[in-house]
Amino acid sequence: MPRLQLGHWADSAVAFLRDHLGWLFDLVTAVVSHMYDGVNAVLSAPEPLLLAGIFAVLALWLRGLTAGVLAFAGFALIDSVQQWDAAMQTLSLVLVATVITIVLAVPLGIWAGRSRTVSTVLRPVLDVMQTMPAFVYLIPGIFFFGLGVVPGVIATIVFAMAPGVRMTELGIRQVDGELVEAAEAFGTTARNVLLRVQLPLALPTIMAGINQVIMLALSMVVIAGMVGAGGLGASVFTAISQVNVGLGFEGGTAVVILAMYLDRMTGALGSQVSPLGRRALAKADALRGARIWSYRPNTAVAMAGIVVLALVAGGMGVFGGSGGGTQVAAGKDVGKGKTVNLGYIPWDEGIASSFLWKEVLEQRGYTVNAKTYDVGALYTGMAGGSIDFETDSWLPTTHAQYWQQYGKDLADLGSWYGPTSLEISVPGYVKDVKSLADLRGKASAFGGRIIGIEPGAGEMNLLRTKVLAAYGLDKEYQLTTGSTAGMLAQLERSYAKKEPVAVVLWSPHWAYSKYSLTKLQDPQGAFGTGDRIHTLASRKFAKNDPAVAGWLKNFHMDEKDLTGLEAAIQDAGQGNEQQGVRTWLKSHPGLVDKMAPVSGH
Amino acid sequence: MSSLQADHLFKVFGRRPQDAVRELQQGADRDALRERGSTAAVIDASFTVEAGEIFVIMGLSGSGKSTVLRMLNGLLEPTAGRVLFDGQDLTALTSGELRGVRSHKISMVFQHFALFPHRSVLENAAYGLEVQGVRRDERLRRAAEALDLVGLKGWEKSWPDELSGGMQQRVGLARALATDAELLLMDESFSALDPLIRRDMQDQLLELQRRLHKTIVFITHDLNEAMRLGDRIAVMRDGRIVQLGSAERILVEPANDYVASFVQDVDRSRVLTAAAAMVPPSRPDAGDCGCQTVTPRTTLAELLAVSARVPHPVAVRGEGGELVGVVPRQRVLTLLGDYDGPQVPCDLSPREKEAAGA
Repeated sequence: MPRLQLGHWADSAVAFLRDHLGWLFDLVTAVVSHMYDGVNAVLSAPEPLLLAGIFAVLALWLRGLTAGVLAFAGFALIDSVQQWDAAMQTLSLVLVATVITIVLAVPLGIWAGRSRTVSTVLRPVLDVMQTMPAFVYLIPGIFFFGLGVVPGVIATIVFAMAPGVRMTELGIRQVDGELVEAAEAFGTTARNVLLRVQLPLALPTIMAGINQVIMLALSMVVIAGMVGAGGLGASVFTAISQVNVGLGFEGGTAVVILAMYLDRMTGALGSQVSPLGRRALAKADALRGARIWSYRPNTAVAMAGIVVLALVAGGMGVFGGSGGGTQVAAGKDVGKGKTVNLGYIPWDEGIASSFLWKEVLEQRGYTVNAKTYDVGALYTGMAGGSIDFETDSWLPTTHAQYWQQYGKDLADLGSWYGPTSLEISVPGYVKDVKSLADLRGKASAFGGRIIGIEPGAGEMNLLRTKVLAAYGLDKEYQLTTGSTAGMLAQLERSYAKKEPVAVVLWSPHWAYSKYSLTKLQDPQGAFGTGDRIHTLASRKFAKNDPAVAGWLKNFHMDEKDLTGLEAAIQDAGQGNEQQGVRTWLKSHPGLVDKMAPVSGH
Repeated sequence: MSSLQADHLFKVFGRRPQDAVRELQQGADRDALRERGSTAAVIDASFTVEAGEIFVIMGLSGSGKSTVLRMLNGLLEPTAGRVLFDGQDLTALTSGELRGVRSHKISMVFQHFALFPHRSVLENAAYGLEVQGVRRDERLRRAAEALDLVGLKGWEKSWPDELSGGMQQRVGLARALATDAELLLMDESFSALDPLIRRDMQDQLLELQRRLHKTIVFITHDLNEAMRLGDRIAVMRDGRIVQLGSAERILVEPANDYVASFVQDVDRSRVLTAAAAMVPPSRPDAGDCGCQTVTPRTTLAELLAVSARVPHPVAVRGEGGELVGVVPRQRVLTLLGDYDGPQVPCDLSPREKEAAGA
């Protein structure tokens, strides 16, 4: 078989689109991000419990008292596990994505419902959209739309489009042909056949489709979180990257609560908006009679309740809502509110250094957006300029391939920590294995596996191409690929059972403080000399903001400070990273001025 | 009052329909066309429906009768031929003009009622008026009148699925009547109903027609229904009209074996009337006696009882009371038995025959 250069063509197509349709992508980006900002501003402005009240009144109106009480309890739970802001970001993302999807999908579905040709053409396109793994178009999406909410929304739209179109088409086709003929026989125009007969009768099916769209949109939030869309996806992604099962569960629970709320509400809305549904509902109510648990206020009462709560919420948003921010000391306002976009990979040293810089820069008058990203997304975003800098590049070895690909658009602001090391580690209770060479011949004890991490990680590449072969392990062992979280979970499991296990690790890593592990020696130096952790910035940022770039160049930390900072952040808990930084800074007076000296002082 | 005329209508589905029509006009066979992927649904259908008459198109499924009906109001465009209504060629109208004609002058009643399930009975009846753009209060008033006309007063606020089949079709009828259209197209409108209810609906339609004098084209596959309702009947087979005439004509003089085999199960006594059975009076004083007489429209079923009571041929009197003919008993038997030949002479007297048998 000749090798078809399918991938190469895709590359060219992406490059062509980026070069020639940039204005279009910019337009889409602007529209989507404004929609998101607007929705998010509304949802995150009021006091959580007041907004929960509004959601509860909606549930009360649509489904009755039980649903209202449960909705309030659910949202209060989200607030109490401190996922409220993330949940509102996710809700905004889902709402924006859903609205755009519906605006596109329903007309397409109607068109497909009326034309066999359109239906035939659309079907494979929808199949591709629904089944193509999200990451395949997510990373190119970053080329086009930059990092953050927009590619998240776009990916969600792509994924959620299919059921919207299909259910609309199905709904239209299901309408009895004789009814359409009857409408035509009485001289109805094509437009009115659609509006007065087909759409009202297809509405229950279309609403089921919209419900599916919302559910699929929610299922995309974690993936969206990996490209900086924030929200619950980022919470879950961060928690899982740190194998913080508890926090992951809290984030996941919040997703589930949102999902159930949206599912039940759209389901109920489906029967409220369609005439047939309203009738069925009235019938059911009449049969059940008036019972307190199924009490439903009429529309006017519900609207009044929502308006009152919204006014209270709005009022409190205006009069309250100050405090908690970082105070900028007089005379040190270098940034004057300028925005800096900081990206980080949710690894401990990345979180620690990033939040340290976030705090320092905020004390210097900058507005700092710190967002978590997948490694690939981080480099792509920084090369494209949507991320200004990040502090967690392992060079020259681990991130070599990223540096090769994106280095020309990036500025290396030097290393702040090092040397690091890459290694394979085994638990301390595995007595007779001290070096990589000792692993030979013990494959059966280790199940023939070395537990690896993400296949794209630099260390994995190194293991595959050099290290395993150097010690003759490549025949004996299989290097499994997966994720850092998976590797750590396997380590936790084996450690608890005292089973031999070999994992791919690196230092500094918190696993060394949690478990007693042996770093296997590398007498042949196959892993190379240790990486240093570098700060990288986009070229544009390094040029435009020499002050910050200068501070970053002079940044250094030693192992004692770094582990201390990581511990302080761990103590503060997820979501309170910056609080942990502040606590730690109190025991290191003068550090801020050392890190970010202001001229004239 | 306006008449409806179908002028050499053709409808061919499938590929290259115009070519197929040309070949059909030159005498090509329907089956030959089908092998090439064209289906000739209607072939050269011509008829005129007089104002105020009930014109029935009868045929089995696949005979093309529903296709003809849909060409009459432009739901289907004829492949060739014209439809003239009210002096207007419907096939020459733009789709907008055609919609206007459909909403004001032609309405339709469907086999499975085709009521809108998301509208109440009253709103369903008002649908045609809504399309016409009649104001809400007026259209609801007129829809309520139409419902009253079909005997559904008091059901206005119900929903279609709460009604029995017969009642649903009354709503369909009310919807068609509410627009005051002159032409009513009825597509197997009673076929989905139970036999007893179907009969009720037929009676009601005839009763309504006596008051409203609409022009009605009624499609059915049921010959008894066709004979009961139709002033004239067109029998269709394989896309062609094989016979067109009054019920009695078709019954007494079927155009071919197909029609003949079709009509053999019909209850002739309920279709044939004195007018078909009567002969010129043999005596000038016929009917001068005090015996019971009948009118030309009396069915044979009723005539039988009269004939049994009266010792001589029954006199038939027209609307003005004048003598128009007589019906000898023999004539009644001839018609009912569908035997049109001479009496065969008998070679034995009854008594001798009895003895021979013993």
